[in-house]
Amino acid sequence: MSTEARSAIFARLQTASAEATANDILRESWALGHAPYPPLPCENTEQAFLTNVLSNRGTVDHAQDRSAAVKAIGRYLYTHYRTQRFVAGNDPRLAAMPWRDAGLLPRFGTVEVGEPLTVGFARLGVAELGATVSWTGKGNPSANNLLAEHHITLVDSADIVATSEDAWPRIQADMERIGRPRGINFVAGPSSTADIEGQLVCGAHGPRAWHVIVIGKLPKDALANALATTADK
Amino acid sequence: MEQKSDTFLANAATAMNDTAAAQRRDIMAAFTPIIRQQSIDGFSSYEPTRKHLKRVRQHTLNHLAHYLAEFETQALANGNHVHFARTPQELNSTVLDICQQHSARRIAKGKSMVTEETGLTAELEKAGLQVIETDLGEYIVQQAGETPSHIVGPALHKSADDVRQLFLDIHPLGERELEHTSDMVAEAREVLRTHFLQAEVGIIGANALIAENGYAMLVTNEGNGDLCANLPPVLVICTTIDRVLPRAEDATAMLRLLVRSATGQPQTCYTSFYSGPRRAQDQDGPVEVHIVLLDNERSDILDSEYRGILECLRCGACLNHCPIYQSVGGHAYGWVYQGPMGSVLTPLLTSLEQSAALPNACTACGRCEEVCPADIPLPAMLRDLRAREYTEKLTPARWRFGIAAHAWLAQRPRLYHSLSGIAVKLLRLLGRRKGYLRHLPFAGGWSSQRDFPAPQAATFMQQLHDKQRRERQRHEH
Repeated sequence: MSTEARSAIFARLQTASAEATANDILRESWALGHAPYPPLPCENTEQAFLTNVLSNRGTVDHAQDRSAAVKAIGRYLYTHYRTQRFVAGNDPRLAAMPWRDAGLLPRFGTVEVGEPLTVGFARLGVAELGATVSWTGKGNPSANNLLAEHHITLVDSADIVATSEDAWPRIQADMERIGRPRGINFVAGPSSTADIEGQLVCGAHGPRAWHVIVIGKLPKDALANALATTADK
Repeated sequence: MEQKSDTFLANAATAMNDTAAAQRRDIMAAFTPIIRQQSIDGFSSYEPTRKHLKRVRQHTLNHLAHYLAEFETQALANGNHVHFARTPQELNSTVLDICQQHSARRIAKGKSMVTEETGLTAELEKAGLQVIETDLGEYIVQQAGETPSHIVGPALHKSADDVRQLFLDIHPLGERELEHTSDMVAEAREVLRTHFLQAEVGIIGANALIAENGYAMLVTNEGNGDLCANLPPVLVICTTIDRVLPRAEDATAMLRLLVRSATGQPQTCYTSFYSGPRRAQDQDGPVEVHIVLLDNERSDILDSEYRGILECLRCGACLNHCPIYQSVGGHAYGWVYQGPMGSVLTPLLTSLEQSAALPNACTACGRCEEVCPADIPLPAMLRDLRAREYTEKLTPARWRFGIAAHAWLAQRPRLYHSLSGIAVKLLRLLGRRKGYLRHLPFAGGWSSQRDFPAPQAATFMQQLHDKQRRERQRHEH
């Protein structure tokens, strides 16, 4: 049935499509160019990223290095769950973190039902969207982004780009190196719904809270300015 | 889904008589345009992005055969099974076959307008499968035995009290209060989590298909679509042939308009691109992925003057700004797609005869076109459909006679002006006591709901001529 349906649909589409060779279509598509540059809330890319993460109902923190990041995670775990345990993907960057610096006890692998907190390491941050981008794989099981109550995402400040047009060439470069990942996930906030009378509630099906920690150098006062900007709103 | 568009007027009357529901619609009507406007005001690239996207969508539709073939090649290379369906029945039987091949009994389904269009859930349930809608709004309407009233917010016609009572009735969880909306959301989360974990097949839609790499893009806020796409061992993606875009960056550019127009957010919480089944290094994900591509009249629409409707992003902005939709709600439209885009799409996907009332459900205010991120000339399309109704004699004979009489008269301006002058004088005379008329000759339907204000002066043309005469006299003096 599907082969017959395919032939019938393509025959119909050929009639309705403009006559052109593949090269003509390619040339025409190049002429389309890129989408106009989207506005950012401020000139600085990292600060714009932090501001937009906060606008998306995420929370943010900054750590100068890996050791400080571990301590920031420890503080978050203690504040919310009074625990040192959590689940992390088998990402080599996570495996190399100095967890002992904060006495943390990660379990590497896929989250199980009932485990409340996961930590992942994003491949990119996109300032325009206030989103982190990661791909599924050994280092990042998709369940870890979806099943926990709280999800912490680490991102290197050097991996924050301004727009999604800046993100795609980097994703493409990784694809050429490791092949096409099964899933490319842009996360921009905790799971939410407004399906009952338009009232916004976080924690519809996925994490109720999403915490982003930027590791590495940030422009002076970027975090403070981002927090002040969103507090004003 | 069974179509009830032919009873639009009766459906609308029922909806308007429900005062509580009408109040909720009024609140949504006030609220949704504001959040969209705020979002657009904060996005200075809106108009240039809209123009860019229009060019991209038109280019894609002009070469749809090329891009669909490219998507198919890439999707197959990614390890997917790609199926084509000409009709809703073909899509339903393809998906049922897949479920039966895997001896599936439980299906976790994400929000998909295409599967609403084909009535997939009902078909799978007929075959004995348990299908649970996992988007909260869809879950509510499914459990209530209703249909979605809005393409983005399917259960926005229900009050929190309705949902509370529904959950208390259907979830055997003992005594509880569900006082707040967050309590109801938490309960649905708990109930549906089990289903996600037990389902053998996940079914989702796709907001876009990327020709250059064979990925399907899925956009949600709840994350339910991603759970359907990642937890069950088999994934079925149901979408239509017109969802293809050439490049991944076209899809993310489209999102800038789609999300702001739909919910007023700059970005949805989850935007995912799925390429196919799990890879060797993956720790989770489906082992088998099927993509089912539905035509259902779209290739005919592509070859018609209504091609532009295929550029629709399904954001729902035209619904949120339509005075008719705001007054009568989504169920009055009697099918899957509501509001202005539904009034264009429904006759094209079903038949103009069955949905003749829908193109007439328009005040010609033009707000739908103004707010459409895809810049679709919806009022012009609705007008063309009304013209088709006239030529195909679907318009009632009395109306056709009236239109023909008006056209005849309009071609004779002197006669038209003198007759309209007489009519205005007569109406002024009839309404001189109260200042309005209770009943209007030949327009009983119109005046059954409202009074007609008696004309206060002569016709526009008479007043214009008087003014011109006075000015001429002033110049002469």
